Amino acid sequence: MIQAKSLTKRYSGRTAVDRISFEVEKGEIVGFLGPNGAGKSTTLRMLTCFLSASDGTATVAGFDIARDSLKVRQVIGYMPENVPLYPEMRVREYLCFRARLKGMRYRESISAVAEAMDTCSLQGVERKMIGTLSKGYRQRVGLADALVHKPELLILDEPTNGLDPSQIRQARDLVKELGEKHTILISTHILNEVEMTCNRVIIINQGKIKASDSPSTLIRRLHRPGQVSLEAIADSGALGKLRTIPGVSEVTSSETDDGWTRFQLTSNAECDVREPVFALATECGWRVRQLEMRRPSLEDAFVDLLTNEQSETASAD
Amino acid sequence: MHAFQVLFFKELRSFFFSSTAYVVIALFTFLNGWLFVGMVRAMQTHASPGSLIHNLLGSGWFWMGYLVLFPLITMRLFAEERKMGTIEGLFTAPVRTSEVLLAKYAASIVAYAAILLPLFLFFPAFYLITGEAGAFHSGAVIGSAVGLFLVGVFHLSIGIFASSLTANALVAAMMTFAMVMLHYFLGFLQNFGIIPDSMWSEFINYFSTVRHMEFLTEGLIDSRPVFYYISFSVVLLACTHHVLESRKWRS
Ligand SMILES: Nc1ncnc2c1ncn2[C@@H]1O[C@H](COP(=O)(O)OP(=O)(O)OP(=O)(O)O)[C@@H](O)[C@H]1O
Ligand SMILES: [Mg+2]
Repeated sequence: MIQAKSLTKRYSGRTAVDRISFEVEKGEIVGFLGPNGAGKSTTLRMLTCFLSASDGTATVAGFDIARDSLKVRQVIGYMPENVPLYPEMRVREYLCFRARLKGMRYRESISAVAEAMDTCSLQGVERKMIGTLSKGYRQRVGLADALVHKPELLILDEPTNGLDPSQIRQARDLVKELGEKHTILISTHILNEVEMTCNRVIIINQGKIKASDSPSTLIRRLHRPGQVSLEAIADSGALGKLRTIPGVSEVTSSETDDGWTRFQLTSNAECDVREPVFALATECGWRVRQLEMRRPSLEDAFVDLLTNEQSETASAD
Repeated sequence: MHAFQVLFFKELRSFFFSSTAYVVIALFTFLNGWLFVGMVRAMQTHASPGSLIHNLLGSGWFWMGYLVLFPLITMRLFAEERKMGTIEGLFTAPVRTSEVLLAKYAASIVAYAAILLPLFLFFPAFYLITGEAGAFHSGAVIGSAVGLFLVGVFHLSIGIFASSLTANALVAAMMTFAMVMLHYFLGFLQNFGIIPDSMWSEFINYFSTVRHMEFLTEGLIDSRPVFYYISFSVVLLACTHHVLESRKWRS
């Protein structure tokens, strides 16, 4: 669906996007991640033909972004960062305008707008002025705008920016649902959202691609030592016994407020020590109320990747 | 063409659904009404070589109000889109830059015509009320309409150009007003006797709105001002198009 070949954007001296190449297949949901100022929005703006590339090319649905920009824009439904809208227009009026601007006839636009408003749960505000809407609703209007002309590809730049947790959850479900019909490229800072919805993530930093893989592969590649926590009422020699379990490298303990002891076990990355710990506990007759392994998240992978990056550049200097 | 229509009507709606439009129309019409009455009174007592509309459009008071119209009509056209960020949605829709530009320009011409319309209704109204057909003659009215159309189209292209240069509507308005005033007063230069050379005064006459209007309001339609205003409008629109396109590669 998208093929970017050494796409580059230079702003008066500084390079915001530096020769990045990536592909997005039809039907994928791809997360586009990176710290602030990494060049995400710039890349998306080049793909949507709002900016032209300083170097390199990209094709969207087979059309070149420089030569066939009208066709490219027809294929894409784009939701820009910060969701710019006309505050003095009413919701339905705005969506109708956008649908028709994107080439729909009046009759088509009526049903398309109704459908988009339905998808984004905008019923009830259709006659409200956009300027009076809450941020959550404005965001939904922006999303409805992006998908009103039934584009094959949705490009969403931080669609959940500034939403409350329950709205973020709704948005996540919506993105998942939309993923069944559209190819989606979504830029965001909310990593657990990406972990749950995206087939693949592309991580960029300082204009360069740092990783491009499925969230689970990125996490697996972390090689984090396993962290297991155990809350129990145990005998005094418990700490020593836990240390003897094969694979466990370190154990610490602390008292909880209500008289239980919490043990933190660090183990090798590959082995799961929960079962031997439980076996030990039953053998010694400890009362156990919690036994849990903390899995590394995409957030860990993300932070790890970027801190490695920093220490590398620091050592190179 | 489809996108042009959609944008054109959207711009018209946003103009005619705003209360400021009606305030501007009312104030401008009031100013003209006051001038109209004043001119009629003056012409009752003093014989005048020119027609009523010629005298009215020759008045400095008219031009004071008239030149303010252009920044008001055009300042928001692109500056506001840039400030709000809606320009991103606009140009990532499958529309040509030229369609957007021409739609906004055409809508501003319609808005301008709507503001001037009441002035041209004064004349039939005056005839209906007084039965005096001699107060104006159709040649002068048609010539004036053509003149105001040409000058307006030119000034609007100045305004739309200024609006594309900045994200601040107020700055766009001030630039437009400055350019429009400058152009208008350049045409006056020889009246101040600053320019003795006759070749220079010929040159200045060529782009003097005052001089053009003097002839047009008598009903004398010359091809030179027509060519002058139309070609400069085209040049300014081409510049605006260039400015809008340049956002892609400028930083
Ligand atoms: N118009 C511009 N002129 C000059 N520099 C710019 C311009 N737009 C962006 N930049 C710079 O390019 C870099 C990338 O910006 P970009 O907006 O693409 O980052 P981003 O990844 O979207 O960040 P965020 O997560 O904060 O949205 C930044 O360093 C920014 O300062
Ligand atoms: Mg961004």
